[in-house]
Amino acid sequence: MSVTMQDHWYPVALASGLRRSARDTLLLGRAIRVALDDGGAPVVTAEGRALPVQVKFGHVWTTLGVPAGDVFDIPEADQPGRRLVEVGSVKVRCSPLRAVENFLDIAHFPFVHTDVLGSEPHTEVERYEVEIRDDVDEVWATKVKFFQPQAARSAQGGITTEYMYRVPGPTCSVLYKTCPPRPGEWDVITLFVQPLTETTCEVWPWMALFDDDSTMTEMIHFQQLIFLQDRSILENQLPALLPLDPGREIPTRADMLSIAYRRWLKRHGYTFGAQLVAA
Amino acid sequence: MTERFIISGRLDGSLLPWIDGHARRIGVAVDFGPRSDSAMELRVDGPPALLDAMEMGCLLGPIDVWIEDIRREPV
Ligand SMILES: [Fe+2]
Repeated sequence: MSVTMQDHWYPVALASGLRRSARDTLLLGRAIRVALDDGGAPVVTAEGRALPVQVKFGHVWTTLGVPAGDVFDIPEADQPGRRLVEVGSVKVRCSPLRAVENFLDIAHFPFVHTDVLGSEPHTEVERYEVEIRDDVDEVWATKVKFFQPQAARSAQGGITTEYMYRVPGPTCSVLYKTCPPRPGEWDVITLFVQPLTETTCEVWPWMALFDDDSTMTEMIHFQQLIFLQDRSILENQLPALLPLDPGREIPTRADMLSIAYRRWLKRHGYTFGAQLVAA
Repeated sequence: MTERFIISGRLDGSLLPWIDGHARRIGVAVDFGPRSDSAMELRVDGPPALLDAMEMGCLLGPIDVWIEDIRREPV
């Protein structure tokens, strides 16, 4: 039996944000309810049917289908000394796949996050490597290097930052970024996307950082600032669905990761939020 | 610069006219070589960055085609 988008895990709430009063929301177009049971454990139901639940990375995860295993791991996030940053959620009027694809768009830093994550004239993307890791069925990009004026709240002045990107599920992405205060370690910045409908999503960024200087509020605000810049781009993209062919676009070598993500979606038939007619 | 692109996959469907159109959009010259439903050869001529762009575009390809792999060789 092949794995469909229904069989994957999706974030549907922050565990710390759950109250006795239920949170009514959507998952892949279906109404679901997230609540706490009498013992204080999270429960997710769809039309009264209890769905599988896991709590990981501070979030409540569920699935409408039969998952092949647990929610994916991020081993680095378990290292002692990291600050775990629950950013909360932002609703975006765009395809859940577009939200991930934008996160994977390396070339957008200098244009969308001007003077924070990139700046002109440092707009060139150096050659990087992309692979599908067959054992885990994940998309990975490594050796991504970029000049950034201020790569994180803890960064002083401009530096060349190295990144790795990972797609462990159709609507989840993990970014690993060299960590200014701890050479040799990677900061972990995730984008967990809850697909509400094919053209709306709720984005749950989460981070596991080495940063002893910033307050939690400062780290949350830094991430929110960056994501709000993305949101205005995302809500204006046409078509609203993510095309799985280039259409009028001319992808270049810098877009190799976006191409790999879209090919991976196409090969698996992960098409909730994808445009299936020629772009 | 001229390269041979050896494309493999499920190549029935609209691939040929699509490659023609995409090459025109990018501005590279394409000659079609031998082909079957699972493999085809192209000679692509243009500057290196545009040959890369041609490879990227073809890897995604039209919606009804699956490109498994593109091997590039100097001619
Ligand atoms: Fe962004």
